Amino acid sequence: MISQRIFSILQRYERLTLPRLKFHSRLNDRQLRHALAAMIQHHLIYHFTSLEDGNTYYEANPQAAYYLVRSGKILQLVESRLGEYASRLMEAILYLGHASVSELEVRPELRSRNPVAANRIKHEEEDPQANGLDVEEEPATTNGDHAVDDKPAPFHATLKALASHGYILRVRDAHFQSPSDNLLEAQRAVAARSDIKALKGKKQEEAIKERAQELVQERTSGDLTQGLMYNGLPRGIKRKFGNGSVDRQPQNHHNGVNGDHAEDEEQQKEEEENEWSEDEDGFDNIPMESGMAVRVNYEKLDVALRNARFVDLAQQDAPAVTAELYACLLRRVEYVTPRCRDAEEIPREKEEGEQFSTPISVQTLLEDIDPSMDLTGALGPADPSQAMNRRGKRPLENGVNGDYDDADDADEASSGAMRAYLVNQHLGLLSQPPFDLASSVTLSVGPSKWRVGFRGLARKLRHLELERMIESRFGDVALRVVRVLQAKGKLDEKRLQEISLLPFKDLRQTLASMQRGGFVDLQEVPKDAQRQPSKTIFLWYYDADRVCSSILEDTYKAMSRTLQRIKHERTLEKDFLEKTERSDVKGHEEEYLTEGELERLQRWRNKEALFLAAIARLDDMVAVFRDY
Amino acid sequence: MAEPHTGELASQLYDACLESYDTNHLFYQADFLGLNIIPKNDPQLLLKCTQQLVDQKLLRLHQDKNERLAWKLISREDADKLQNLSADEGLVYNVIHSTARSGIWVRAIQTRTNLHKSILDRCLKSLEGKNYIKSVHNVKFPTRKMYMLAGLAPSEDITGGAWFTDGVLDANFINSVAGYIEYTVSRKSWYEVPADRGRTAKRIKTATGKAEVKSEATEKTYIPYPFNYEGYPTVQTITNAVNESGITPVRLGEESIIQLLQMLCFDKKLVELNLKSGTAYKSVKNPEAVKEKQSRKPAEGDEPIQINEPGKNNGMTDSPCGPCPSFRLCSPGGAISPETCEYFDPWMEKNLAF
Repeated sequence: MISQRIFSILQRYERLTLPRLKFHSRLNDRQLRHALAAMIQHHLIYHFTSLEDGNTYYEANPQAAYYLVRSGKILQLVESRLGEYASRLMEAILYLGHASVSELEVRPELRSRNPVAANRIKHEEEDPQANGLDVEEEPATTNGDHAVDDKPAPFHATLKALASHGYILRVRDAHFQSPSDNLLEAQRAVAARSDIKALKGKKQEEAIKERAQELVQERTSGDLTQGLMYNGLPRGIKRKFGNGSVDRQPQNHHNGVNGDHAEDEEQQKEEEENEWSEDEDGFDNIPMESGMAVRVNYEKLDVALRNARFVDLAQQDAPAVTAELYACLLRRVEYVTPRCRDAEEIPREKEEGEQFSTPISVQTLLEDIDPSMDLTGALGPADPSQAMNRRGKRPLENGVNGDYDDADDADEASSGAMRAYLVNQHLGLLSQPPFDLASSVTLSVGPSKWRVGFRGLARKLRHLELERMIESRFGDVALRVVRVLQAKGKLDEKRLQEISLLPFKDLRQTLASMQRGGFVDLQEVPKDAQRQPSKTIFLWYYDADRVCSSILEDTYKAMSRTLQRIKHERTLEKDFLEKTERSDVKGHEEEYLTEGELERLQRWRNKEALFLAAIARLDDMVAVFRDY
Repeated sequence: MAEPHTGELASQLYDACLESYDTNHLFYQADFLGLNIIPKNDPQLLLKCTQQLVDQKLLRLHQDKNERLAWKLISREDADKLQNLSADEGLVYNVIHSTARSGIWVRAIQTRTNLHKSILDRCLKSLEGKNYIKSVHNVKFPTRKMYMLAGLAPSEDITGGAWFTDGVLDANFINSVAGYIEYTVSRKSWYEVPADRGRTAKRIKTATGKAEVKSEATEKTYIPYPFNYEGYPTVQTITNAVNESGITPVRLGEESIIQLLQMLCFDKKLVELNLKSGTAYKSVKNPEAVKEKQSRKPAEGDEPIQINEPGKNNGMTDSPCGPCPSFRLCSPGGAISPETCEYFDPWMEKNLAF
């Protein structure tokens, strides 16, 4: 509660010194200091000590506060990639904001290999806004009674795996200062250098700008992947060979609503756990620097989450095998993509250049994919007439052998060139409309490689979200109108009708209701100075940027309303929930609660899960509009 | 001595022109001289001849972009018609003739001929009575009275193309043709796995996604073609298919079909592909899915149906705040607030029921 108050004060007044903050918050020194320390630990507050006046300024970090909402999704992702233990480790790091390696190592819940409490992820999400002070105590309650019957946890190996994936980074001093402070400081430092002072005028300005960027980069970079990559692959990556079907599933999970996957996840966990021990335990337990503090790298995780969205797009209309191949490509791309975009803000529509990922060669992909994966069955023949003639025996050079003789099949499919050809076929399908998910580049030497155009796809995701909203609010007629406007720019009603082939009545109604909803706008172009309506041209247009930003605001609002509603629901059930949360009842619900109460608790948990799922899905939208 | 010859020369010239050029040819001085009918290629003489022909309404005067003088032939029947008209009527007729298939607005005739309204009205009436011109209906300006020559068919700008019936968009017709096109294209964009291949069906069963229609042998299984497949239908093949199907009372031109195809592309039902062989179209959904969707369409009533297809919803459309009409007014502690919101409870009931 205290940190909540401090945070909202800082949001309102922006930068404050300690005395001012104390004045506004009406807290005593002790409370204030504790709260600030905890919030700094969680990177919720930036602080900056000015060299000029010696004051320390505090500033809220809304980005970090927002990312707390995404914790659940991040843990799920880490779990699907690196297994259950890694997600627990990640969870510990998230709890602590940042922590040193040695600190993490001694945490009781990370000692054992098996999960400690079943529903902790839920708790994490439960109250992201007010995480401040109570965090310190909470984890302590969830451990203890676990027998030490299992092997020591692969702590260091897992930490390294996380680091090499780039999911965590080293905490630097500069991380505690706001980006603008960092930049100003760097500029000051650069300007004071003698070689810069020697320059004059515009040149000097440019040099300062450039060097300051470099300096900030240097000071804030906490990249841990260096030296941990092995042949371009991060450590701790699971071998997928032999169990393709198991691995395919986690890809589906990222889309938010969880809960019903519990069972099959459980099974997977078991398998993963086993694999893990065989693969990694032996050679990779050299500890990492114990004094190093690590924190979560949200930027990188956004890349991974965004890729999951791209895979979802592929799954919508492409065969599953193709989508899986695409997932492999994106995985490779993820390792070499540090962040979603370089620009601070999403550039305006049509002013945005394309930014391609590093091209990945087919050979690399072939190493990643499951050799038993059937690449042939999912695509038709390039020339159907031939296939008809020789029933079932499709010619090989068309890339699809419709041959179902086992011996034959195995021979052909296992040959590398054939598989490379097939991979190209599958990705080629994705490079075509309606997908446009990948594109191939042919370099002067060597075979062609595949890459992903991030900006275009991010834009596509944004448009898809908008289109979904438009369709649900105004129907499919509106969708057509919006797409026409998007493609053609500003149009008057008549042209619009000709292209969209809609009756005037429908068209006008739709346009009017969309304008009311703020999705399309009308521009008046008067032909004379009197601006008579009869002598005015009215042009409809659709400004995706504007709509995006207003939807983003709406989404934030919807999220906060949902959170407020949870709070309200919680107060309705306050007495009962307080009982279930008593320290003696918690964890022993079955013993202390009556059947009716247990049912009630279950109902409450379902309800809460529903709300949180709604928030998680709203967060998906925020990510699309803001972060990708 | 030139005088008596002019008439003869003129008709010779006219016949020669009729023989060696088609009626739409724009004649310049050089063209006439090139026919070697005018002695010594005398421009003065030519001018006299053409003037006579113009008087006889056998030639029409034109001026090209560079303001050069040019002529066009008029057939003898038309010339007879024109000969019978009064001067004013002839003027009006010529103006209407000049706009050909696009027709002309009455007021535009007035400004171009500078005739008084009552005279113009009389001329138009008499021309219409003689069945030389007709009035047409313009889609773009439904209130304007427009005329064109009786023998011409109005252009698409006027009628709005094949999709308009009497100046009104024919939604039913459009939908039925669009549905047919989508299905036809779809049939050619997906490979139908022959039913007797048990093993293929089994393989595809493991796959998720609606790309495949899986399970029972009775259902058809569709898989996409590889990307070098060239068999996607082009505008031409689609046009032929539509015209042969008999769903249209009139033959549709490629222009109209392109219009419709673009509409389908905006609906994201089809996508345009640039193949080596030219532009072709591919359907997003397989034939089975297309059929299913189309058969469901008429069943839907006035109230919006719940869209449950994957990829059609997002956090906003599914949360109570998305469709909330008072979203903008909502604030904690206000008349409409998250605490008092009446949409949350039904939403919760509905979602917890699953």
